[in-house]
Amino acid sequence: MQSLVKMIIMVALLLFVSPLLEGILRKFKALVHSRIGPPLLQPYWDILKLLGKDDVRSPHSFLGPLPAFLGLAAILAAGLLVPLGNSAPFASGDLFLFLYLISFASVCVMLAGMDSGSPYGFLGTAREMMTSFVVEPVLFIALITVAIKTHNFRFSDMAAYQQISGASLSTIISGLALFLGIQAQLSKLPFDIPEAEGELMGGTFAEMSGPTFALYRWGFIAKQVIFSMILAQLFFPWPLGLVGLWAVVAQIAKVILIVVLVGLIDAVNPRLRIDQALVYYFGVILMAIVGLVFALVGA
Amino acid sequence: MTKQEILSLLKAKLGAGFIAHTEPIPDQLWVEVKPQASVQAVELLHRTTKARYLVSVGSDERELKKRFGVYHLFSFDKEHFFVTIDVSADPHQPVLPSITNVIAGANWSEREIRDLLGVQFEGHPDPRRLVLADDWPNEVYPLRRDFDYSSKPPSNPENAYPFKDNPPNTTVVAMGPYFPVFEEATYFRLYVEGEKVVDVDYRGFYAHRGIEKLGDASLTYNQIPFIAERICGICGFVHNVSFCKLVEHAAGIKVPRRADYIRTIMLELERIHSHALWLGVAGHIIGFDTVLMQTWRMREPIMWLCEKLTGNRKTYGMNLIGGVRRDITKAQVPEVRKKIDAMDKEWQAVLDAVKDDTTLRMRLEKVGILNREQSHEWAAVGPVARAADIDMDSRKDHPYCAYDAVDFKVITADTNDVWGRTVVRILETIESFKIVRQCLDALMELPEGDIITEIRDEIPAGRIAISAVEAPRGEDVHFLLTGGDNRPYRWRVRCPTYPNLPTVQVMVKGEQVADVPIILGSIDPCFSCTERMEVADVNTGKIRVYSQEELFNWTKRKA
Repeated sequence: MQSLVKMIIMVALLLFVSPLLEGILRKFKALVHSRIGPPLLQPYWDILKLLGKDDVRSPHSFLGPLPAFLGLAAILAAGLLVPLGNSAPFASGDLFLFLYLISFASVCVMLAGMDSGSPYGFLGTAREMMTSFVVEPVLFIALITVAIKTHNFRFSDMAAYQQISGASLSTIISGLALFLGIQAQLSKLPFDIPEAEGELMGGTFAEMSGPTFALYRWGFIAKQVIFSMILAQLFFPWPLGLVGLWAVVAQIAKVILIVVLVGLIDAVNPRLRIDQALVYYFGVILMAIVGLVFALVGA
Repeated sequence: MTKQEILSLLKAKLGAGFIAHTEPIPDQLWVEVKPQASVQAVELLHRTTKARYLVSVGSDERELKKRFGVYHLFSFDKEHFFVTIDVSADPHQPVLPSITNVIAGANWSEREIRDLLGVQFEGHPDPRRLVLADDWPNEVYPLRRDFDYSSKPPSNPENAYPFKDNPPNTTVVAMGPYFPVFEEATYFRLYVEGEKVVDVDYRGFYAHRGIEKLGDASLTYNQIPFIAERICGICGFVHNVSFCKLVEHAAGIKVPRRADYIRTIMLELERIHSHALWLGVAGHIIGFDTVLMQTWRMREPIMWLCEKLTGNRKTYGMNLIGGVRRDITKAQVPEVRKKIDAMDKEWQAVLDAVKDDTTLRMRLEKVGILNREQSHEWAAVGPVARAADIDMDSRKDHPYCAYDAVDFKVITADTNDVWGRTVVRILETIESFKIVRQCLDALMELPEGDIITEIRDEIPAGRIAISAVEAPRGEDVHFLLTGGDNRPYRWRVRCPTYPNLPTVQVMVKGEQVADVPIILGSIDPCFSCTERMEVADVNTGKIRVYSQEELFNWTKRKA
């Protein structure tokens, strides 16, 4: 019963609080740009507006809005594995399930891109695939590193262990690698290559509109919170030993800080070309592997 | 090389093909040749003497000399003069040999003359339509003098544009006719293999406004400066100055020195805000919106300054033939200086930030290569040519206004790429600050109020003039053949994008799809500067055009 309540809270959090975080990110970007920026609640209005619009779809579309629903569902399900307080809403899920769900969500994006039948969608999908090949290993290796360090595959237990012992050299290295990977996971600059407004007009999403598009955007916004929470809890557990309200406050502060950092990198970089991004991410994979090796030797 | 040497070279090589020569204005050499000798003449100038091709102008002179005139214009930059090869085409069967196989850059000029005047060019490698709309009827030539400027021929929807065939194993990625990062309508049809651009096709001229026709048929000398300024929404003052210089050249009108300095100041302010605008747009194209927001913030005080000096942010309406309409008073000088100093300081910070930005350099370096030879071949101008290490700037090569009296450097780069063009523009802006300061000093010394020469006599007919003015995007060339009834007989505008845009097709081949927008952006393209909102009802076929006021009202929050 208690876990059901937690699940509902988690899903509500991902759906209804995460846009606020997006609002903070946009405000921060505006600050870097010397702009006033949109109101904090603008992401809510955007989603509402899109939900209320006609769903114009490419006549070549075969799957319709299916990938959008599946993608968002996968992201929300992945969110249930992330510890909220001291345990995850779905405590028996482990990191492998998480990885599958996250990969499934990006497969849904690729499906949508191919399904659109537009050349922009195809190019976007091809880029999304190439990005996935190099970004998902980073996530995998980073999580495995923590698992080795904490002798556990479940996020709750991993987080609990980290909360007591503090991060080690290996998890910090892999945490940094994961942080660099987030930029591409969330389609932020300099790695928003599959969407690339400049050359592909939204790429995978070029043909999306209305409610379907809202679901994808919503999914990305929720994913942003999930990754920030994982980073904050598993890789950068400080300050240690907090309980109750203070733990929540610290958690929120860290998540906001991570989101702001992601926004800062997004604001001060141009978009890379796909070949340059691949080279960059090979470097990040190497960095993650270094973390893994440190974990194996016990550092 | 002097004019005499060029003349004797042409005479010796062309033999009987050489008809006559004149020097209508000191900085011009006008050589009439027979059609069959025109290709050789052009080849001599382009290849042997390395003259820079400007444009070819077609002119319907059936009522004057019973011919169609085609003028191939060349510039000897370092020798400060223009050479024109004048070829006559038969009034009934106008056919001339094509020079495009000698000068790639003549491609558009010849197609345009064919489209608008009906002069055919034999042996042209790409004789498709250029300027006219797809549904324009065949064999109706709008620039002929017997075609009324306000007539509307019936649509002929049969003429679909024949795009190139797909090369094997390629797919088409369409960039245009409306594409988010291209501010205006243009169509680059990319044939891609994976991410690589194998070939490219172009269709443009979607918003041709027929301004030259208006100048030849409807407006008068005093009205044209204002319509010329509307050719471009960013470098409009350049066109305005170009046209005024033409008429002043042709009629020998002397402009007061103070007006020269004021024109120079406005031209440089325009360059400053145009380059700031460009840098922002370039940043936006590659997703770097911080650059966009910051440069446009810096640009804004300059726009306000222009409004204060002229009454308008843009499209100043300052120029008349003979001078300018408003003085920049001695009392205004300190404020201009203050704004320029403030922008200069911020611009230095931009330079430092951009110079050391490794990700930015990753995106811009070794992308969109156009080397020195290609640049000469395609007659590229402005920062595109200067980034290919060609020291060319009409402010130095064909001095006008007060550029003969100010000290500045022509910035070049030898990287041939988008990065080079970026650096050239940023450094050029710094030179512009210097020029404005020098002009302000001069304004403090010259007497106030002496800003326009009154013109009492009629502008004589049959005079010829060429003017080259350095726009932010590159050299802007205007050509004028004066006519009776107080208007040009033929007025030709060659904006800097005209020679630069075809080079994009050269630059994008072999590059990645991701680089195409920034390569196009790197020439700082300017197509028509026309924004128009039309709503077409597909059921009734009715078209409604929305006025500026209606659109403004829509953007306002309802109380």
